Amino acid sequence: MAPLRRLLVLALALGLAAAAGGERRRRRLLALEALAEAEELSASLWGAGLPWDLPELEPECRRLLAAFAEGSAALAGCLGRRARPVRLCQGCHRHYGRLLAQYATIARAVGNSSESHNCAKSILTSDRLQVVVMLSEFFNETWEAANCANCLKNSSEGLSNSTVEFLDLFNKSLTCFEHNLQGQTINLSPNNYTEVCKNCNATYKMLNDLYNNLQRMNRQGGESGHSAHLCIDVEDAMNITRKLWSRTFNCSVPCSDTVPVIAVSSFILFLPIVFYLSSFLHSKQKKRILILPKRIQSNASLVNIQEKYS
Amino acid sequence: MANVAKKVSWSGRDRDDEDDDEEEGRAGEATPLLNGTGPGAGGARQFTPSSFLRIGQLSNVDLNEDVRELETELPRQYPNEIPHNEKLLSLKYESLDYDNSENQLFLEEERRINHAAFRTVEIKRWVICAMIGILTGLVACFIDIVVENLAGLKYRVVKDNIDKFTEKGGLSFSLLLWATLNASVVMVGSVIVAFIEPVAAGSGIPQIKCYLNGVKIPHVVRLKTLVIKVCGVILSVVGGLAVGKEGPMIHSGAVIAAGISQGRSTSLKRDFKIFEYFRRDTEKRDFVSAGAAAGVSAAFGAPVGGVLFSLEEGASFWNQFLTWRIFFASMISTFTLNSVLSVYHGNAWDLSSPGLINFGRFDNEKMGYTIQEIPIFIFMGVVGGILGALFNALNYWLTMFRIRYIHRPCLQVIEAMLVAAVTAAVGFVMIYCSRDCQPIQGSTVTYPLQLFCADGEYNSMATAFFNTPEKSVVNLFHDPPGSYNPMTLGMFTLMYFFLACWTYGLTVSAGVFIPSLLIGAAWGRLFGISLSYLTKGSIWADPGKYALMGAAAQLGGIVRMTLSLTVIMMEATGNVTYGFPIMLVLMTAKIVGDYFVEGLYDMHIQLQSVPFLHWEAPVTSHSLTAREVMSTPVTCLRRIERVGTVVDILSDTSSNHNGFPVVESNPDATQVAGLRGLILRSQLIVLLKHKVFVERANLSLVQRRLKLKDFRDAYPRFPPIQSIHVSQDERECMIDLSEFMNPSPYTVPQEASLPRVFKLFRALGLRHLVVVDNRNEVVGMVTRKDLARYRLGKEGLEELSLAQT
Repeated sequence: MAPLRRLLVLALALGLAAAAGGERRRRRLLALEALAEAEELSASLWGAGLPWDLPELEPECRRLLAAFAEGSAALAGCLGRRARPVRLCQGCHRHYGRLLAQYATIARAVGNSSESHNCAKSILTSDRLQVVVMLSEFFNETWEAANCANCLKNSSEGLSNSTVEFLDLFNKSLTCFEHNLQGQTINLSPNNYTEVCKNCNATYKMLNDLYNNLQRMNRQGGESGHSAHLCIDVEDAMNITRKLWSRTFNCSVPCSDTVPVIAVSSFILFLPIVFYLSSFLHSKQKKRILILPKRIQSNASLVNIQEKYS
Repeated sequence: MANVAKKVSWSGRDRDDEDDDEEEGRAGEATPLLNGTGPGAGGARQFTPSSFLRIGQLSNVDLNEDVRELETELPRQYPNEIPHNEKLLSLKYESLDYDNSENQLFLEEERRINHAAFRTVEIKRWVICAMIGILTGLVACFIDIVVENLAGLKYRVVKDNIDKFTEKGGLSFSLLLWATLNASVVMVGSVIVAFIEPVAAGSGIPQIKCYLNGVKIPHVVRLKTLVIKVCGVILSVVGGLAVGKEGPMIHSGAVIAAGISQGRSTSLKRDFKIFEYFRRDTEKRDFVSAGAAAGVSAAFGAPVGGVLFSLEEGASFWNQFLTWRIFFASMISTFTLNSVLSVYHGNAWDLSSPGLINFGRFDNEKMGYTIQEIPIFIFMGVVGGILGALFNALNYWLTMFRIRYIHRPCLQVIEAMLVAAVTAAVGFVMIYCSRDCQPIQGSTVTYPLQLFCADGEYNSMATAFFNTPEKSVVNLFHDPPGSYNPMTLGMFTLMYFFLACWTYGLTVSAGVFIPSLLIGAAWGRLFGISLSYLTKGSIWADPGKYALMGAAAQLGGIVRMTLSLTVIMMEATGNVTYGFPIMLVLMTAKIVGDYFVEGLYDMHIQLQSVPFLHWEAPVTSHSLTAREVMSTPVTCLRRIERVGTVVDILSDTSSNHNGFPVVESNPDATQVAGLRGLILRSQLIVLLKHKVFVERANLSLVQRRLKLKDFRDAYPRFPPIQSIHVSQDERECMIDLSEFMNPSPYTVPQEASLPRVFKLFRALGLRHLVVVDNRNEVVGMVTRKDLARYRLGKEGLEELSLAQT
């Protein structure tokens, strides 16, 4: 296999060089690079079993592609690192914006010059897989699902004011939790979080109210759109706090007033029984007056009916 | 035209219940008899074996000669009273006149109208169908939007209240608030139905079924009924009852159709002078079936299902063009609803809500089914059939109790309020006791109720109870696996089953489709969950799919519709591949259910003592002949009759006949009084009103000849005979009926068997069938009630008795 492959690499390099055409000087400069690239290409083409008809990528395009690859790597890394606890929108919106711009450059190149025309075409649409498109779609979808647009400013630069406010409050309540927990002795019993509950109640309530407010505003504003959710950062932050508050600290103990509820409901359930009994006993039963139609009585019908009575 | 002045009601209660004593004083007025029975028929026949035997012995001679004798020998008794039961036929229901009276006037009109005019009539039919579709769609939109907003308001208020009291304590107040809100809203809904238009109660499907069958249910297609129906549906759904708004759409569509096709409204007393050609029962029926189809189509977004519903439930008279027109009306209806709702929801041109209930999309991979699951589906059909039969049996007892004891409007209103309050209380207690909490994140709950759940979680029982039933159904279909725990579903099914069963038959206008779907969806989902437990969480056991099959099974088990329901479900899910399992499920449910009791609608028709003609005569009835079936003797009119006689016959309240055979005027010894034609009460009244007497014609007092238009203008509410004044002189005049009678009424010989007579009736939509002997003399008259009283019961052929209700 190896000699054959070597041959292919050479052929590809030659092909690339030939296709570069008029600019001889540049061709020389790029010869090495072309060779390296040809090797990569040949590897991929060899796998696909298509050693002929070598497509060529303009250097300009190659640069765009490389930038996109870098950008997506950075974004993917960012997303991965900030997956738990979720800080996607806060941390990665710059990466995302950059990637969007890069993709737009590639895509926008369609109408420009003949050179970059080739560029958009060859990067985006010249194969079945269309990795670049796929990647960009993946990031877009993730971004949409996270609903990050919701907590960013309209121009996608920086967090919106309400989000900043919320995050401040969130940090404040976390600090409050921490502070109060530290204040207690280390060997405290797991259920004894009364201190936290008492001290941080105000902050937590504020946070909760703010969140509810944000949600209501979002629902009103986004009536026409589909985004009923807040952005994932805010949602997750609230979620964590709530879990801490009601599960771990067990702070929200609702008053369960079972006795009055049972009393009222059994009273209501009792009413129909009274109603039906009284209407059964006191209401006059509806009687129907039978009316006899005039008919000829004959044997056949009587026999017919008698059969059923016997 | 029995008791035109007297109000009659579908719901089985009598308005003049309070003045029973007074009623008895003029009992004659209140006891109209059958067509063809003489006024002296006071004797009661009791179906005891001994009396049969005696009569049998007596009539053991040639009957032709012995008829009169036998009748006089029957013991005379006063009419006896019995409690209401299912084996009765009520006298208050009459037939519709589908048979066209081909009298002279009709022929004249046909000659006058040329070919082109008939073409405009055809075009008018299409225009009317389009209008039916559009208006039905708009009414559906109106209901949907109002219900959405009002229910949203109610649930928000209650939710805020519950949220408030969860922290502070005092949840019993929330319960009271919820119950009071429900009860008061339902009270309004029930009051308007009970006091203004009782025929608007229930889903309206049985009534429309009867109408299409040829029974005139009083008030059923009036504008007033439509208004009450629409308001009543809105109020009962907002009031949180276990009801849906889909069934009443069918009734609404039918009323709209009947109203538009007549070009006028008697409730509003407005006549638009259009579509006068269609003022006949035959034409009206065709449009009503289109309206019913449009209603189904708007309710479920199922145009084909709507057409098939009309086909299955109503039409014994069907032709290709009518079907095509009905389909047109259905399509227009669903399209109108779709476009208006899309605009309302803000995404115009999207056309994403074809029906009032939208089952959502069932096209992802999980929702597919494999061939191995078919036996499981069939098993679900069996369960649905059994549960449906149980539902119907319980509802039967309840309805019987209601007819017998709860017949006063105020009692009915109180009952409805109590049901509403209990529904709220049960819901609240279920939510209160449930510990099934689900995270809010990523769920699409409209009104998440936290109650005792941790912050950021909602009570899963509340999604089922604290919501309009339509939304709950869709949630059960589409919520991801794990949204409900089995305990919640089990309790919900149990409670909702009894609530829905209790609710159906109340004096509120509401349907049973959605509650059935909801019960079925709940146990279907439970079934799916347990299946995936059993199979260690296999991928194919998606609970949503089983919820759908359960819903189909339950609905099929309750209403027992077959073809149309399959197509409706198929269209509502938007997935044709589900057609096969849904069909199997519905078939199984019907077979299993029919083994126990009949369908809910048929049951209610029977309980209301409606003379309903099924598709076929009872199978074992061939030995019965027309002679035994018919009523006799018949009140006949002569061809040239004295006005006084006509007036007397018509005003004889004890014999409220609608059709009178016309015989030869003066038979001499050689000539028998042969049958010459048939004339209807309505025609006679119009004749008397216009004073079309022979003498006046001779004196050329009549300005113009009577036209068919005069008869149509009086339709459908002909004035009662009491309102027509005939002077003493005029009583002596003669009236010539030969021009107005139907010269060729359908007749049968006395020997014709019951199934033959039945077929004539059913296929031609007859109202009167004259029985003649071989000399063409009238011996009897067969009407709908004579045929409908034979029924195949549990022990063979049964005979229903006639009763005054």
